[in-house]
Amino acid sequence: MSIMTRKLTLAALCAMAMLASPSQAQQAAEIQVTYSNGQFQPSEVRAPADKPITLRVRNADAKAMEFESKSLRVEKAVAANSEGVINVRALKPGRYEFYDDFNEKARGALVVQ
Amino acid sequence: MATKFQRRNAMAQCAAAGLFWCSGAARAEDASSWREIETKYIFGFTTGSGIGLEGEKEFTVDSISRFGKRDGHYAASETKYEFEFTPSQLIQIEFGALGSTHHIAGVTDLDDRRQVAFSGAFAELRYLAIERTSNNPLAVTLAVEPTVRLIDETSGARVHNYELETIINADLELLKNRLFAGFNLLYEPEVTLTRMGDVQREAKFGGSAALSLRIASNVVVGGEIWYLRHYDSAALTAFTGDAVMVGPTLYIQFTPKMFMTAAWNTQVWGREIGNPVSLNLAEFQRNRAKLKFAWEF
Repeated sequence: MSIMTRKLTLAALCAMAMLASPSQAQQAAEIQVTYSNGQFQPSEVRAPADKPITLRVRNADAKAMEFESKSLRVEKAVAANSEGVINVRALKPGRYEFYDDFNEKARGALVVQ
Repeated sequence: MATKFQRRNAMAQCAAAGLFWCSGAARAEDASSWREIETKYIFGFTTGSGIGLEGEKEFTVDSISRFGKRDGHYAASETKYEFEFTPSQLIQIEFGALGSTHHIAGVTDLDDRRQVAFSGAFAELRYLAIERTSNNPLAVTLAVEPTVRLIDETSGARVHNYELETIINADLELLKNRLFAGFNLLYEPEVTLTRMGDVQREAKFGGSAALSLRIASNVVVGGEIWYLRHYDSAALTAFTGDAVMVGPTLYIQFTPKMFMTAAWNTQVWGREIGNPVSLNLAEFQRNRAKLKFAWEF
């Protein structure tokens, strides 16, 4: 492999890594949600726009749940009586719905302003 | 014995009854209570902008069949056995193997053939460039898909074929959780080395528009139209013909982790440069069908 080819490969890998990972340079806003009795508490949480978010989901129920959101594009299985940590990219203002994939009725929303 | 017309009429009536039943079910449900839907597969041959959820993995079997040439009998299919995963919230990666079937008899310029074969491999990188929010209904994904084939897609002959599909997948949420429009813009250059030592360069260029209505929380129906141009050069300089294809689409989510999509396209207009016949059946087919099953895990 020539030096030029190696440099191009390295540049492509760096570009992909930058595209792939949510911005780590900024301090993440931390948000806590508790899942209890088959419901999210609170059911609506707020976060600042254009800043990465760390979402801590504490499952207080005696059975596992799966935190999922199509618009946030994340999913995380959280075992009974434990906590899951989800890193979310910096978001534009809007309402992002989430739910428990195992429980049709458990819904919530992240409002980004 | 029922005639072909009577059979088609009966099928149309069944389809209409199915749609009527589905639309009735849709009226009974409240769309605002539905979960958001992944748009990637709801438009048939047109691909939506969805890239899945971070950490999600999926195995799919995606089969495209092509039927009908100017004369004789022509039926061919290519099936992707595909693994998809989403390593970040902006990128999706797919790769897999290809299998093909060819049943050709009495078609001008093609050898008769009846074969099933392993036909190659592919990979795809998708990057979500514009993401949908509650304030912005548009989402756009850029994708590149290099493919290597050992079997020619059209003739089924042994070749070495290298293709690079580049595509823009865009979709608009017209009615929240209910009505979606999809658009694709495609450029697909390829080079084929035949067993006789010939080198053939060609390219496809075109686009599509699709409209899909979610008639129940787990069922989406719609229609799409494709316009495709064919060139005997990668640089789009030697135009050889074009075609318009239209048809219905269907998406069904069986469980939260399993779904299928189906589509049928018929060529309704086409032309071959230098050949004053209707339709372009040299570079495209009379009909094509898509059937895809996916399992997420």
